[in-house]
Amino acid sequence: MSLDAAFLTALLLSTLRQTTPLLLTALGGMFSERSGVVNIALEGILLFGALTAAVVVERLEAALGPGPHPWLPWVGVLAAMGVGGLVAFVHALVSIKYRADQIISGTALNLLALGAPSLVLTYFYGNATSSKEVANRLPLWGPEGFQLSPLVYLAFLLVPLTWWVLFKTPFGLRLRAVGEHPEAADTLGVNVYRMRYTGVVLSGILAGLAGAYLAIGFLNQFVRGMSAGMGFIALAAMIFGKWHPVGILFSTLLFGFASALAIQLQGTEILPAVLVQAFPYVVTVLVLAGFIGRSRPPAAVGKPYEK
Amino acid sequence: MLTDRKRLGLLVLLGGGLTLLLWYFSPWAVPHRIFGGEGVLLNPFGHHLPQGSLPQGYRDGWLYPIFYLSLAWLGLSLLLPWTKAAPKGLYWAGALGLGLFLLTYLLFQGSVAQVNAGAERPVLRRFSLGLGSYATLAYSLYLLLLARVFSPGGLAFLVRRRGVVVPLFSLLLASGIGGVIVAVLKESPGEAQGLRESLMLKLDLITYTYQLLYSPLVNPSGFLQSLLLATPLVFTGLAVALGFRGGLFNIGASGQLILGAIAAMLVGVYLPGPRWLVLPLAILAAALAGGLWGALPGWLKARFGAHEVINTIMLNYIAASLFLFLISANEYKFFGRTLYLPFKYPGYEARSYEIRPEARIPHWTDLVAPGGELSFALPLALLLGLLGYFLVRKSLGHRVLGALLLGAGGYLVGGLLPGPEVAFGPDLTSVRLNGAFLLALGALFFFHFYVFRTVGGYELRALGLAPKAAEYGGVRAGQKMVWVMFLAGALAGLAATHYVLGGGIDEYRLKQSLPYSVGFDGIAVALMGQNTPLGVGLAAWLFGILLTGGLQVNLQLGISRELVSVLQALIVLFVAAGGFLPRYFTDPLRAAEVELKAEKEVKE
Repeated sequence: MSLDAAFLTALLLSTLRQTTPLLLTALGGMFSERSGVVNIALEGILLFGALTAAVVVERLEAALGPGPHPWLPWVGVLAAMGVGGLVAFVHALVSIKYRADQIISGTALNLLALGAPSLVLTYFYGNATSSKEVANRLPLWGPEGFQLSPLVYLAFLLVPLTWWVLFKTPFGLRLRAVGEHPEAADTLGVNVYRMRYTGVVLSGILAGLAGAYLAIGFLNQFVRGMSAGMGFIALAAMIFGKWHPVGILFSTLLFGFASALAIQLQGTEILPAVLVQAFPYVVTVLVLAGFIGRSRPPAAVGKPYEK
Repeated sequence: MLTDRKRLGLLVLLGGGLTLLLWYFSPWAVPHRIFGGEGVLLNPFGHHLPQGSLPQGYRDGWLYPIFYLSLAWLGLSLLLPWTKAAPKGLYWAGALGLGLFLLTYLLFQGSVAQVNAGAERPVLRRFSLGLGSYATLAYSLYLLLLARVFSPGGLAFLVRRRGVVVPLFSLLLASGIGGVIVAVLKESPGEAQGLRESLMLKLDLITYTYQLLYSPLVNPSGFLQSLLLATPLVFTGLAVALGFRGGLFNIGASGQLILGAIAAMLVGVYLPGPRWLVLPLAILAAALAGGLWGALPGWLKARFGAHEVINTIMLNYIAASLFLFLISANEYKFFGRTLYLPFKYPGYEARSYEIRPEARIPHWTDLVAPGGELSFALPLALLLGLLGYFLVRKSLGHRVLGALLLGAGGYLVGGLLPGPEVAFGPDLTSVRLNGAFLLALGALFFFHFYVFRTVGGYELRALGLAPKAAEYGGVRAGQKMVWVMFLAGALAGLAATHYVLGGGIDEYRLKQSLPYSVGFDGIAVALMGQNTPLGVGLAAWLFGILLTGGLQVNLQLGISRELVSVLQALIVLFVAAGGFLPRYFTDPLRAAEVELKAEKEVKE
């Protein structure tokens, strides 16, 4: 193997593709944690989003007949965002209204995401592991040889946008306030509960979007367990990125690069593929051990608020 | 604010109305079920008959008197809240209902036996009572519950038992949602005319699904199979529960189990020696490897403040990679050079060499009846062990020592006693339940003694309840954290003894099909069991039953076995939310308030 231009381009494209779901999910997680709610359910929401996108698009294809329908994948994307928001709402309800331990509630939804897809897949396709392939994937945009899914561009555009929302709008100020000091925010007339619901549901919408990218942008079907821990890695990236959009951009790029490198190394004789697959996870552990001491989470994160 | 009497009246009315609806819409009994799950459904308002008529020779005459009796009973119960001695009357009504249910059961069994008695092969198969009759049972229990709750101090009675009430209520809620899922995902078998009949078919489908899920309770091989599946769940459930007790969330039981399995395989395959040495060493190796893998995130948290949740999950993935690396191939290229490993057994499948016979944990038949003769060794050991524990009236150490010595004596004496010859059918011997089950029971006892009877366990609980106070009280938080995670990991690692040393996965090998996801099921077990050893044991058994029954649901109804894991997830969610019950069921301070109020009430 040589470090020629083709290899580097492939590595770059692969990095961008691998970064996209992490970036979307991590930005979502940021909204949730900035509002004071840990959302470890993001992993499960990724799966629910992916399942929704793949099944909705495939079912509509079956109903509409053959022929390219360029708008169809976008319906899948919207449905995935909706379902992601809905699952996140359940997490919000249980952990805000019923004051459940946020990590347990999130874990429950992750467990649900391990089992529920099989039921749905068995119902529609008669097998428990994957959906039928869809014909209408998300399109590819860009010059010849450098084509990427529109969601890739969207993910990177979201970085400045979320920065602006979080730091330059009244909404962002309130969101951060309820995550740092809900009592103070409440005294000033901010509706703590509503801000937290909004933060959590936003995180679900973004993770659902990331799931749609996995199912009908990156691949063309839903495969059981296809998120492979991306939701958790995204959370680690969010911590590493210090709950800040720009930090998150760089940390997810690091993880995306680790994954891309692992993919590019597979099939070569440098390292065995089974070990290389573990690379991003090892990086996550190392990064968390090395840097978390220097970053500070929102002060009220993880604590239920009571008036 | 409603008065107590009005509230009681409303609650009884609600339950009674629901029961009446179920009586009208659901089958009372299913004397015969044809393939595909469609049943002959009996209902006093009109049957559903797949073949157009009742099975030959079957008489449904018993149903009508039962129905009118039940109706009279229900009417009576609705009036009771407005009489003077309301709670007491409800007790009687509840007891009467239980009797009514028993009568229904006996009459139904009789009616079926009458047809089956003469025939060579049973004519009526897969018969059971239906939801309508179960509604009678449920309503009776509901009346008894209401009677207790509306007696003086009744609410405190429930609140004091919140450790049982919250998980059971969550199970009930989850089962309800599971029923809706079944109804949506599965078309009911058979053709129906009219709304009532189609609803009857749906309700029967749901009932039948749950009957299948709990069927391992009533057939011997299913029963053993449920214990088999419960064994690893006990270990992983304890691994998660120990973490919770110490204020740590251990989602890494999967990875710890994998490391334990690898270590057990290494010792079991490659260490020669006599049985008394190799078997304990293999078991210890599993615990040690799992423990070290668990201690790693503990150390990362204590030293760097890295959150254990994400780290344990990442270590699961890393362990899975390591596992595949060791057994999926023997030749690897590293930077162009070739590395040779000795672990994979030749052939297509990714699996290790066989565990040496000396390091295997015996199959249950070899424990219960070695050489075909029933052995008294284990029962006697257990009996004497318990006697030893309760008779020695000294410190905990003395008691445990006494129990162990007496138990060992019992084992020896029992082994020498001659026993009667027994033979088990192939359906029982094929269940791969093994001695690891006893290890699991031992782990439950260990958990109880360590957490609730030792200084170390006290420190652990203090750390979980109030970390700052514990540290101020002299607990070394960092060290303790690593230790808790080590013990939790060791418990999870022991689950591997069942799979690898006990041959729980079809062979005495480490195989790719090692179901390490039981590490996640351990979370549900721990929460359902409220982090107590008895609770964890029972919850593991419950899930063992459901998982075994899930196979039947899949075989007979074509519903994915994952229904059970959905139920598990819902149970976790609902337990976390306190079963959506009022705050005094989840908040210890408010619970104490309720109890104080009740004490006053009772004194008055």
